[in-house]
Amino acid sequence: MGSELKIINGRVYDPINDIDGEIRDVCIRDGKIVESVADDAKVIDAAGKVVMPGGVDMHCHIAGHKVNLARKFQPEDHRHDVQPRVGALRSGTGGTVPSTFTTGYRYATLGYTTAMEAAVPPMGARHTLEELHDTPVVDKGFYLLLANNVCLNQLLEQGRHAEFRDAVAWWLNKSKAYAIKLVNPGGDEPWKGRKNSNVHDLDQPISGFDLTPRKIIKALIDVSNDLGLPHPAHIHCNNLGHSGNYATTLETMKTADGRRAHITHIQFHSYGGEVGKNPTSAARQIVDYINEHPNISADVGQVMFGKATIMTADAPLTWLLRNMSKDKWINADTECESGCGIIPFSYQEHVYTHAIQWAIGLELFLLSKDPWRMVLSTDHPNGGSFENYPRLIRLLMDKPFRDEQAKRANPKAIANTSLLDIDREFTMREIVIVTRAGPARLLGLENKGHLGVGADADITIYDEMEDKEAMFNAARYVIKGGELFIDNHEFRFDHEGSVYHVSPSYNPEIERVLKPFFEDYYSVQFENYPVSDHYIARGVTVPTGQSQP
Amino acid sequence: MRLTLHAVPEVPLEAEAICPDMLMGLSADKAAELPVFHGNEKARLGDFFSVQGEARDGTVTVEGDLSKVKLIGNGMSTGRLRIEGDVGAHLGAEMRGGEIVVTGNAGDWVGREMSGGRITIRGDAGHMVGCAVRGVPVGMLGGEIIVHGNAGNEVGHGMRRGLIAIGGDSGDFTGVSMKAGTVVVMGRLGMRPGAGMVRGTLISTQPAELLPTFNYDTTYRPPIIRTILIYLRKLGFTVEDLYLNGPYQRWSGDSIELNKGEILLYAGTRQ
Amino acid sequence: MSEAKTIHNAVCTFCGCVCDDIELVVAPEGKSITRAGNACELGRAWFLEHRIEDYPVALVDGKEAGLEEAVDAAARILVEARFPAVYGLSDTTCEAQKEAVAIADFVNGNIDTTTSVCHGPSGMAFQGTGESTASLGEIKNRADFILYWGGNPVEAHPRHFERYSAKAKAAYLPGGRADRTIAMVDVRKTRSASEADIFLQVRPGSDFEVLWALRALVRGKYVDDSIEARTGISLETLQDLVERMKNCQFGVIFFGMGLSMTRGRHFNVSALLALATDLNAFTHFVANPVRGHGNVTGADNVVSWQTGYPFGVNFNRGYPRFNPGEFTTVDVLARGDADALLVIASDPAANFPRRAIEHLKTIPVITLDPKPTRTSQLARVAFTVAAYGINVPGTVYRMDNVALPLRPAFDSPYPCDEEILRAIKERVCELKGIGRREVA
Repeated sequence: MGSELKIINGRVYDPINDIDGEIRDVCIRDGKIVESVADDAKVIDAAGKVVMPGGVDMHCHIAGHKVNLARKFQPEDHRHDVQPRVGALRSGTGGTVPSTFTTGYRYATLGYTTAMEAAVPPMGARHTLEELHDTPVVDKGFYLLLANNVCLNQLLEQGRHAEFRDAVAWWLNKSKAYAIKLVNPGGDEPWKGRKNSNVHDLDQPISGFDLTPRKIIKALIDVSNDLGLPHPAHIHCNNLGHSGNYATTLETMKTADGRRAHITHIQFHSYGGEVGKNPTSAARQIVDYINEHPNISADVGQVMFGKATIMTADAPLTWLLRNMSKDKWINADTECESGCGIIPFSYQEHVYTHAIQWAIGLELFLLSKDPWRMVLSTDHPNGGSFENYPRLIRLLMDKPFRDEQAKRANPKAIANTSLLDIDREFTMREIVIVTRAGPARLLGLENKGHLGVGADADITIYDEMEDKEAMFNAARYVIKGGELFIDNHEFRFDHEGSVYHVSPSYNPEIERVLKPFFEDYYSVQFENYPVSDHYIARGVTVPTGQSQP
Repeated sequence: MRLTLHAVPEVPLEAEAICPDMLMGLSADKAAELPVFHGNEKARLGDFFSVQGEARDGTVTVEGDLSKVKLIGNGMSTGRLRIEGDVGAHLGAEMRGGEIVVTGNAGDWVGREMSGGRITIRGDAGHMVGCAVRGVPVGMLGGEIIVHGNAGNEVGHGMRRGLIAIGGDSGDFTGVSMKAGTVVVMGRLGMRPGAGMVRGTLISTQPAELLPTFNYDTTYRPPIIRTILIYLRKLGFTVEDLYLNGPYQRWSGDSIELNKGEILLYAGTRQ
Repeated sequence: MSEAKTIHNAVCTFCGCVCDDIELVVAPEGKSITRAGNACELGRAWFLEHRIEDYPVALVDGKEAGLEEAVDAAARILVEARFPAVYGLSDTTCEAQKEAVAIADFVNGNIDTTTSVCHGPSGMAFQGTGESTASLGEIKNRADFILYWGGNPVEAHPRHFERYSAKAKAAYLPGGRADRTIAMVDVRKTRSASEADIFLQVRPGSDFEVLWALRALVRGKYVDDSIEARTGISLETLQDLVERMKNCQFGVIFFGMGLSMTRGRHFNVSALLALATDLNAFTHFVANPVRGHGNVTGADNVVSWQTGYPFGVNFNRGYPRFNPGEFTTVDVLARGDADALLVIASDPAANFPRRAIEHLKTIPVITLDPKPTRTSQLARVAFTVAAYGINVPGTVYRMDNVALPLRPAFDSPYPCDEEILRAIKERVCELKGIGRREVA
């Protein structure tokens, strides 16, 4: 017998179903939203409260090798932020890189019920799934790093397009990934093999290959669309963090040539000015392009003042930052697949660069005409922890608060942006879009981000409050898969959450191409490389549809 | 107020409650109710200590073998804590003010991340006196730690300000990664003193083997040493006259860092 | 009579190399392995000598006991203790390690792994300095300069040279050994050292000084020429080594316990990690620890993701705290802090310092091990378990943090660590009234 639940009297926001703050009931049976339930169903009276779908974080770093390195790297970041054990709910530690259980519980506390780990080299898939298994409550999945894959690059440079496509599909299958991720396309080879150099132009040849970043980007955008993946290629552009990089970002978006592509943490890629000098804001140029090109979507990667941890597959970037801070630094290369860099970081209001990064992120949100395609992220924990989301929501919804915060930041930086001239305040509906409905739609998760019949019963209920930061800081009720995880601010049930992944078809003959490559280049056996179903306790295989235009 | 240990803890007792900030203004009965952790078990201060009197002026005396009692004087900002006997780990951790005196020996992490006040140990201290915690580059931020006996490894690790004085010998890596501040060791420095030090002063009256990244500058009679040693005499150190006026070799280092730290070693004749 | 069975690409957990290309042939009766193709002599012994012996599944107070009775006795010991400590874990699966951390969490105890007695100092150095590192395949593919420091791979990790480093033939270095420069730093000339192009024999106890001088030279800073008298290595030799390191294409330093467990410990490793980091100003340079136990790296990973800290973690206050020296098992025992000890796949009574062993003898001990050990002989509760990798599937992490799946060869009549630990965990929760409020 399934459990039934009825939420009554709540103010419901469900943009996908065009419900904008109506008082109405939501009925739940067997983990799904239904038309109606029996009279004796458990009732939650949500009078004076706001009811919306559970949050969907489409870009964060919460599990896997690099995350775990960052975790054990910073005992100092955990020790003043502990998560005591509550009954059967496990203890842990917080900080910018919380332990796995704490990550799940804290996402849920904020009302988030889905979170996607955004960068995993295939060799790290098994490890990532082990950690995701220990990340409770939230549904999850991960994106597979493929833009610096030596084998794929070789197929590409030899023009073996069909095999390239099959190899990509093989990799997605064997690692149980959800989407294709590109990070600093083509940058690993010069970093690892050419004394820590990098690529800086989309048309610059990549050392060791007859290939350019643009060719890799184009190929992976195409294959994502051709395989009909639910989420398009998820792109971390070249030149992250460099002044003047908006031109690279525009070029990357143009490379999509009308096909779907997602540009991630676009704030870090929206800088004007000259290389090596202070950045200026190019938010306007970036937003204008996206407003006019419906094939492109983005998440912002907002920077929030305070402690962060930079962790990225873009290793050269962290080396650059490390040479400024002289702080502790991690570099971790994965054979044939990826690089990785980690440094502790702190965004400070008085620092010009940090202040302009903060302002550019807000400009991107506020100048965007389509919230469905410019969604919320802090690139946790790169721009700041996901625990900053309530504050970020207030910055978007509350102009006086935003201006007051801007006045505390480096005035020269703020003056170099249009932030103070923007009067727009996000409505609740728009917040629900950028934190829930938008990311769910961009991910192709048809049962998430809305409250229509048949949707997953992942629901958050907040007290309606004037101070939106306080409001979004702690949901009064969180329902995950139809069960009350948080009941009147108390944890009730533990919940494991599901792993979402794709399984596009491919020609099995591709293994005849891949196996010899493994024997030459890898240090693990081809047969021990694929991740078995054993690593997914609760899995959802999202169908890969028809080839996208 | 006087706390007398009546039940020896079987496992470590974490007793942040033993701190003038917590005890001031409390009656003996109320003080006995303060929480402590006996291993993983919550207990009362009174389960282990008999409490007499009050700490109106912030003076607290603790007696007994406290070598299993940790975190005494944690975060202390005021008052006087006198410990008659040995004491366990983390004495005066994160201390900001006031004074702690221990008549016996102290465990590891005395004055960890301390920023003010004074800790005096009449006996020996363990490892990591006035140090940082793992993962943090900065240790002691201010205050004084005076150890009459010997101290273990990593004295003043990452120290940024303040004074640490060791009457006897110190262990390995004394003053490692010091940012600034002063460490005086009347006895011998252990191996690799001042490794990675950025600034700051390390003084010893005994010869020492220094790292190859320290370079000899000069031999001179720095007046500051007289000032410091006379101060330590007042605090009860035995300081022979010959050490007051030098001469001292001055070595700078660590060349890997800014090379702005100094190690001063007594270079005169001995009696 | 059944056919001999072959397991392809089996994973050897004898050491941290975790070679995953072993071809196991199982005897027709299914109770032993007759051949371990591709394995080194250590791996062969590990597989071929494994036998299912006739030990009782559990002993309580030295008497044979049923599983349920033993699980109950173990759980009661842990629940009644005020400072229960969990230790070992480097020779078992990650699945078992997770259960062990859960037990420590539920009994508000202490958890630590054998990392604290091998590369714990490396973990501490990593937290202070960071590290530049790489998966072993990247080193195989690209490293044209390889330096071993304080380790003897030829004898301790016999296939390290051939599979991952000095002798590996790779796409970018088709000449294998001929395309690489191999340097070795050690206090004595080992069999590994005699295979190196460059050997620096340092005086015992002077690793830190040598590393420190190398760092200074890389940064173009002052080094006193007393270095030779102190370390046995001349300034010129060091300068030559520095030039080679700066000018290689991809350099790596492998370091062993000869560095991490000799005087200076975490400072030694910190100096080495900082040296590798500094060299990145000139070329690509990484440093990797050479780990001993088959899944010690998995233990570091599991404890880290569940608590935030890699080893030496204490839950007395209901949440994880970390402090090596305070919560590491040798210290916890030597100071007499722990009042109960759960040991998984380790033998502290055989290899801990005397003071720690003396205390261990005074407290109730629970052991899980495939064979009797010194520790199990003085345990209140001793379980016999199946051997991971031979009888038990699961996940292990190679020394470079790459996770691999085990391919067991044959079944064991004994339960595995994971099963027993889960049973203990569940009994602990029952005894403590912790509801298992799980939906799924």
